[in-house]
Amino acid sequence: MRSHAMLRENAMGWLWISPWIVGFLAFLLVPMVLSFYYSFTDYPLMEPPLWVGMGNYLRMFGDDKFISSAGRTLVYAALAVPLSTVVALVIAGLLSTRVRLAGIYQAAVFIPTLVPMAASGMVWLWLFNAQYGFINLLLAKVGIQGPGWFTDARPAWSMASILIVGLWGVGQAVVVYVAAMHEVPGSLYEAADLDGMGPVRKFLNVTLPMISPVILLNVVTLLIGAVQLFTVPFIVRAATPGGQTSTMTFYSVYMFDNAFVYGQMGYACAMAWVQLVVVLILTGLTFLASKKLVHYRGA
Amino acid sequence: MKSEQRKPLSLSGTILVTVSLVVIAAMFLTPVVWMACTSMKSPTDAAQGGISPLPNPASAALENIVHNYPEVWNDPSITFPIYLRNTLIIAVLSVTGMVLSSAVVAYGFARLNFKGRGPMFVVVLATMMIPFPVVMAPLYLVFRELGWIGTLRPLWVPAWFGGAFNIFLLRQFFMGIPKELDEAARIDGCSHFGVFWRIILPLSKPALAVVALFHFMYVWNDFLGPLIFLTHRDDFTLALGLQLYQSKAGNTPWNLLMAASTMVTIPVLVLYVLAQRTFVQGMSADGLKE
Amino acid sequence: MSVPDDTRPTHAALRFTRRAAIGAMVAGGAGFALFGPRGAKEASGGRIVLDYWEKWTGHEGRAMQGVIDRFNDSQSRIFVRYLVTAGVDQKAMIAISGGNPPDVVGLYNYNVPGFAETGGILPLDGFDSALVPRQEQYAAGVWPILRHPDSSGVERTWAVPNTGGTLAMYYNRSAFREAGLDPDRPPRTIGELDEMSRKLDVIDGDGTIRRAGFLHTEPGWWSWVWGYHYGGRLYDRPSNTASFDAPQNLRAYEWLASTSARLGPPRVETFKSGFANAYSSALNGLLDGKVAMVMQGPWLANVIAAFKPDLDYAVAPVPVSDELLDPASPIGLVESDILVIPRGVRHPEASMEFIAYTQRQDVSETLARAHFKNSVMTQISAEFVRDHPNRGIGVHNAIAKSPRGFLAPRSRDWLQLKQILDDGVPQIWNHTIQAPTQLAAMNRQAQAVLDRSLDVTRRRHGAAPGKGVAR
Repeated sequence: MRSHAMLRENAMGWLWISPWIVGFLAFLLVPMVLSFYYSFTDYPLMEPPLWVGMGNYLRMFGDDKFISSAGRTLVYAALAVPLSTVVALVIAGLLSTRVRLAGIYQAAVFIPTLVPMAASGMVWLWLFNAQYGFINLLLAKVGIQGPGWFTDARPAWSMASILIVGLWGVGQAVVVYVAAMHEVPGSLYEAADLDGMGPVRKFLNVTLPMISPVILLNVVTLLIGAVQLFTVPFIVRAATPGGQTSTMTFYSVYMFDNAFVYGQMGYACAMAWVQLVVVLILTGLTFLASKKLVHYRGA
Repeated sequence: MKSEQRKPLSLSGTILVTVSLVVIAAMFLTPVVWMACTSMKSPTDAAQGGISPLPNPASAALENIVHNYPEVWNDPSITFPIYLRNTLIIAVLSVTGMVLSSAVVAYGFARLNFKGRGPMFVVVLATMMIPFPVVMAPLYLVFRELGWIGTLRPLWVPAWFGGAFNIFLLRQFFMGIPKELDEAARIDGCSHFGVFWRIILPLSKPALAVVALFHFMYVWNDFLGPLIFLTHRDDFTLALGLQLYQSKAGNTPWNLLMAASTMVTIPVLVLYVLAQRTFVQGMSADGLKE
Repeated sequence: MSVPDDTRPTHAALRFTRRAAIGAMVAGGAGFALFGPRGAKEASGGRIVLDYWEKWTGHEGRAMQGVIDRFNDSQSRIFVRYLVTAGVDQKAMIAISGGNPPDVVGLYNYNVPGFAETGGILPLDGFDSALVPRQEQYAAGVWPILRHPDSSGVERTWAVPNTGGTLAMYYNRSAFREAGLDPDRPPRTIGELDEMSRKLDVIDGDGTIRRAGFLHTEPGWWSWVWGYHYGGRLYDRPSNTASFDAPQNLRAYEWLASTSARLGPPRVETFKSGFANAYSSALNGLLDGKVAMVMQGPWLANVIAAFKPDLDYAVAPVPVSDELLDPASPIGLVESDILVIPRGVRHPEASMEFIAYTQRQDVSETLARAHFKNSVMTQISAEFVRDHPNRGIGVHNAIAKSPRGFLAPRSRDWLQLKQILDDGVPQIWNHTIQAPTQLAAMNRQAQAVLDRSLDVTRRRHGAAPGKGVAR
C-alpha cells in the first residue's frame, strides 16, 4: 500500500513538472545537442551540414575578428560590471539616507530600464549624433567639440558610448540594493554610531558587508548580461552606413553575423559553446572570489 | 521599516545628498525627456533645432504632436497598428502560458514529494545561466523543422512550458503558504489540482502578478527573438518595427522615430506608475516574503 | 510585507482605481490583439498576391511603390505587395532556409554568389524566354552581376538589376575657383588629384584643418576599392586566391596612408568627426565645404538637392594611376540593387512576370531617375539624360558601360573578405600599422577564409563550382 502511494506521488510529481521538462527538452536540450553537433560541421543554412571535425574550434585561433570581438566583449564586461555595480551601490546608498522624495529619485533612476532596448538604442543614436545630438550640442556650448561617440573611429569612444548606455540601465540594480539596504538591522547602525562612525564609514563597514549576498547575485546577473551584449550594438551598426562599424562587433553580434549573414551556422554554434563555457567559468570564478567577501547572515 | 531607526543626516549632509540625487535623477531622465521632446518637433527643427527641448516656436508643440503621432500611426509602409497588434497577441498568449505553466510546475516542486525532485530543481536553476545567444541559432533550426519560421509561434509557444526564474520565484512563494491549508483541503477530498486551483492560486496573486508583469515586459522589449524568428513584415513586433525608421543612407526622420519610440515606451511607463509595488517586489525576491 | 495603509479609505479607493486602470489596460490590450488591424496577407479578389521584400524606405520606397502600382494596374492576374524590411538579405536568408520565402526579394549585387551557389534563389534561364534577361539589354558593367555558376558549375542568370549606381568623384567647383584651379578641369590621375588636393587643403597655422582637398574617408563606405584605381585586384576566381598585397594594391594603400600623413592622422580624425555620419544632412562634408572632392554614387545628388541645391558641383570619374589613364574607358565601381526569386516560392512564373516588367526600359528609367541613379541598360533614352536630376549622370552612365568598370569580387565569401578590409584599412589610414604589413596580414586572413570555403565546397559537391582548381 505504502509503496503504491509513493509510486503514485512520484508519478504525480513528474506529471506536474512535465510542462517544464517538455519545454526544457524541446527548446533547450535539443537545440543545445544540435548546436553541439553542428559546431563540428560546416552549415550554410541553405545547404545540409557537412562534418568538419574540430575545424570550427581550431579556426577561432586564427580568426582576428573572433579574437577582437571576444576581446572587446571581455573588456566591456570587465568595465561594465564593476562600473555598474559601484554606480548602483552609490545611488542606492544615497537613496537609503533619510532624504526627502527618495521615492521620486528612485523612480527617475528606474524609468530608463523600462524603455524597450530597441527604443533606447534609437534614443541614444540620436543623443550621440555627432552633429545634432543633444550631448555634442551641450559640449559645444562649453566650447568642446564632441567625439563621434558610437561611430568614432577611436575605439575608446565607441566603448565609452556603449558603457554609458549600459550605465543608464542600472536602475534595476539600484532598486534591488535599496530594498536590501532597508533590510539591514538598525541595531547595527546604532552600534556603529556608538563607535563614532560617519555615514561613509557606516556605508562601507556596515551596509556593504550586510548586503554582500545581494551584490554577488547582481554581479553574476550583470556578468551574464554583459557577455551576451547584443541589441544596442546591433541597432547602432544597422543604422550606420558603410562598413565602419567594427567597434560595434561584440561577440554575440559576430555570432549572429556568422549564423545569419555569412552562412556559417556551424561556426556560430561553436562560438555559442565557447560563450557558454566562458560564462560558466566567469560565474564560477566570481563565486570563488566572493567566498571571502560575501557575508551570509547566520550562515 | 528597520532602517528608519538610522540617524538622520546632518544638514550639510542632507544638502549634499539631495543635490547629488537631483543631478543623478536629471541625468537619468534626460534621454527619456529628450526623446519625448524631439517627438514634438518638426522634421527640420528636430534635425537643427539645437539644444532647446522645446520646438521652435514653442507654440507649435501641440500642432507637431497632432501631426507626428498620427503620421506614425497611419504610415502605410511602417504599419504601427499591425506591429502593436502582433506584440499584443504574443504578449497575451505568452503571458497566459507563462503564468499558468510556471505555477503548475512550481506547485509540483513545492508540494509534491517525488523522487528526483531535488536534482531536477537544480537543473531548473542551472538553465538560468545559459545565455540566449547560445541557443538562438539552433533554436532557429528547431523552429524551422517545426515549420514555425514566418509565424508568431516561436515567440509564444515556448512560454507555455514555463520559465526557470518564474518557477523558482513561484516555488518560493508557494512554500511560504502554510501546508495545513492544503492538507485540510486534501482531507476534504480535494485533488492536487483542486488545492492548486482553489487554495494556492488565489493566495498567490501578488506573485502571479509579478510573473505576469515581468514576462510582459520581456515580451514587449524582446528584440533578438523577433529579429531571428519573424521574417514577414506583417508579423513584426514593435521593437523590430522601430528599426524600419532607420534607413541606412536615407534621411532618418528623427521626430517620427522618437514619436514611435515614445509610443512604444508609454504603455510600460503607465504600467509602472500603476503597478509600482509589483515591480519592486519582482526585483527583490525578498519583497515577496509575507 | 504588510501594508497597513491600505485599510485607509483614500488608499483603498486609490488601489481600486489602480486595479481598474490595470484591468482596463489588459482588456484594451487583449481587445486590440483580438480585433485590431491585420496585415493584408490575403488580398484582392482571386488575384495571385506576391510579397515583395525590399530595403528602400522614404522617397526611394515611394518610387518603387509607383512602379508596383503601374504593374498592378497593367494586368488583373497578379497583385504585388511592397514590404519594407530592415536587413533584407539576412531576413531573406532566414526566410528561404525556413521554407517561408517572399515571392520576390530585392538584394544587393554581392548577394548573388552566395544565394546562387547554395541554391537559395531560382535561376531565371528556365523561364519563358521572352521574359529572361539578355546580355544585350544591359550595360557592360552590369551584366556580369546577374551571372554566376550554380552548384554544379554551370553559368546561369540569377537576377535582374533594379537600379544601379556607379562610383564617381563629386567636386566643389567654387572651392576649385577659390584655390585658383580650373573648375572645368578635374583631376584625372592620382598624381593630379594629389597636386590639386594640396592646393585645395586649407590648414590653419596651428595645423587645424578647415578643408581637405580629397578625403578617402569621406564617407569611407568603400575602403576596399582603391587598389582597382591602380589596376589591382583583390580576388582571382579561377585560382580562388586573394591578392590584397599585390603591388598595385600596395601602391594604392601607400597613397591612402600618404594622404592622412599629409593632413596629420590625429588632426584629420578630429576634423572628420565633425561631419562623420552626416552623409544625409546639410553637414555632409562636400555640401558643407569641408571636403572639396569625394568619391560617391549618383544618390549624392539627392542629398545635394535636399540640403544645398545651390552647391556648384560637378562629377568626374575617380582618378586612376597615371599609366591607366584612358578617358574613353573610365574605371569605377559598378554596383546594382537586384531582384531575385527565392527557392520555394508558390508562383514562380508570376514572380518572373513582375521582375520582367521592371526591366522595361521606361520602367527602369523612371525608377532610376526617381532614385537619382544611372541607367543599367544599354539603351538609354535622350529624355533620361536630359531630365535627370543628377547633372553628372552622363559620367555614371559611362562607367556602367565602360569595359573597365569593376565589380565587388564574385565570391560567396565576399562579405567576410570585405569585413577584413573594412576593419583593417582604418589602421593603415591611422598609421597604426604600415600598409605592407597590414595588407599581408589581411591577405592571410582572407586566404584562410577562401581556402576553408573551397575545401568545404569541394567536399560537399565533389568539385568546386566554377572555381577551376578542382576541375
